Amino acid sequence: MKENPRLKAVRAVRAELAAVGIDPFGVQIDQIVSPTEGIIDGRPTILAGTNNYLGMTFDADCIASAREALESSGTGTTGSRMANGSYASHRELELDLARFYGKRDAIVFSTGYQANLGMISALVGPGDTVMIDADSHASIYDGCTLAGATTIRFRHNDADDLAKRMRRLGDEAANALIIVEGVYSMLGDRAPLREFVRVKKEFGATLLVDEAHSMGVLGEKGQGLAEVDGVLDEVDYVVGTFSKSLGNTGGFCVGDSADMDVLRYASRPYVFTASLAPATIAATRTALRKLEAATDLRQRLQANAERLHAGLAALGFRLGAAPNAVVAVLVGEKLEALKFWDHLLKSGVYVNLMVPPATPGNESLLRCSVSAAHTFEQIDAICAAFGSWNGVKA
Amino acid sequence: MNHQAVVEKLIELVTPFAEGRPVAITESTGITSELGLDSLKVMDLVVAVEDEFDISVPINALAEVRTVGDFAALIQKSTGDNA
Repeated sequence: MKENPRLKAVRAVRAELAAVGIDPFGVQIDQIVSPTEGIIDGRPTILAGTNNYLGMTFDADCIASAREALESSGTGTTGSRMANGSYASHRELELDLARFYGKRDAIVFSTGYQANLGMISALVGPGDTVMIDADSHASIYDGCTLAGATTIRFRHNDADDLAKRMRRLGDEAANALIIVEGVYSMLGDRAPLREFVRVKKEFGATLLVDEAHSMGVLGEKGQGLAEVDGVLDEVDYVVGTFSKSLGNTGGFCVGDSADMDVLRYASRPYVFTASLAPATIAATRTALRKLEAATDLRQRLQANAERLHAGLAALGFRLGAAPNAVVAVLVGEKLEALKFWDHLLKSGVYVNLMVPPATPGNESLLRCSVSAAHTFEQIDAICAAFGSWNGVKA
Repeated sequence: MNHQAVVEKLIELVTPFAEGRPVAITESTGITSELGLDSLKVMDLVVAVEDEFDISVPINALAEVRTVGDFAALIQKSTGDNA
C-alpha cells in the first residue's frame, strides 16, 4: 500500500531513532507501583517525568471516591453532555471549581488540551485577533488554528513586545484575546503575569491564563501564579487541567464573564466530545478539596524541587529556570540528549526527553517533573543518575 | 516601500538563514522547499522581518507563503503599502 507523503517527516524521525536503537516516545510502564515508581523493562524506575506534582494518583480518598462512583454510576457516560445530558456530578465539579477560584462559573472539558481548544475557538473567530506567547503549548496554537482567528506571536515572557504589537492593532486591540501560561511546561519558567495584566488593562483587552503547570503547585491555596501575583481578579479566564496536580484526566475554564453562561454551547470541543466518566469526576472533586488544603504537600514539593535543582546545579548542569516543579536540564544537541535520556532510564530514572521544535531556543532538554510524593532519597538517586553520565554536560 | 524594495530587503534577511544552500535567492525562491528552512528557522525569520518592518505577521497568514515573493506581498499587506 502507498505511504502517505504527509507522514514522510515522521517516518524519517522514527527511522532515525530505530537506527540508534532508542525509542523515547514509546516508553511502556509495565507496572505502576506508586505515584513515583514504576517497572519499566523489568527495572524498578523512579518516575520523574509524569507531572504528578502532588502525588494525587494513589491518594486513598480519591481512589475511594472513584470506586464509589464507579459502583453507583457505571463506567462511562457514553456521549456528550449536550446530547446525552450531564450527570449531576459534572455540574457539581464546575461549581466546586468556580468556588475554588472565586469566579462566577466554570466549564469542565474532557481533557486539558480540549479546554484550550474549546475556550479559544469559542471566544474568537475569523477577523478577531489572538496574541499568544511564542512558547505557548500546542493546545493554544491548535485552539487558534481551530478558531481561524488572526494569530500573532509575541516574544516569550516579554510584556513590552506584547504592548508594541497591541499598539500596532490600533482600535482592534480592545477586542484582542491575550493568552499566556502561568508556568511554561518545557523550562518551568514563570510568566511576568503582573506585567501582562498591566498591558491587558492598558488596551482594555481580554486575558486568558493557562495554569496547567501551576495549579496546585503555586499559591497558598494552590490557585496558581495568578494567586501568587495577586492578579486573579484581573484574569478573565483561567484554564487548567485535572491531569497534573489533581492526578486524573480532564480540563476546565473558570471566569467571571457573563459569557460563561453561553460559551460551552459555542464550543465544538465541548459539544462534540464524550463527557468525563463518573469515577473521574468523583476523584477529581475529592482531589480538588484536598489540593486546596495541601499546603504541606506544596511545601514538600518546593523542598524537593529545590533539592533537585541544587543537586543538578552542583553537578554542573545548565538548568532552565529557578527551582520549580519542572526542572529542565539543557543538553543542546539532539543525539547527545537521546543517549543521555537512555542512560537515565537504564539507571532507573524516567524523565522526559524534549527536542526541537517542541522546545524553546532549538535546544534539547531532559525535563524532570518533581512530585511532593518523591522522597529525598529518590531526589538524590535522580541526581546520582544524572551525575553518572559520562557524556557532555553541555 | 515598493514590492521590489521589499523583496531586496527580504533577501538580505533570508540569506543568513539559508547558509550552506548554493541557491541564488530571488523572488521565486521557495523558502522551505529550496532554502530548506525548518519551522523553527521560519519563525526566527518572521521575528527578524517583524523587527525590520515594524509589523506583526500573523502566523495563520504564513500558510499561504511559499516563495520570497509571497512573503514580500504579505509584508506589504501588513505595512498597508501595496504599491
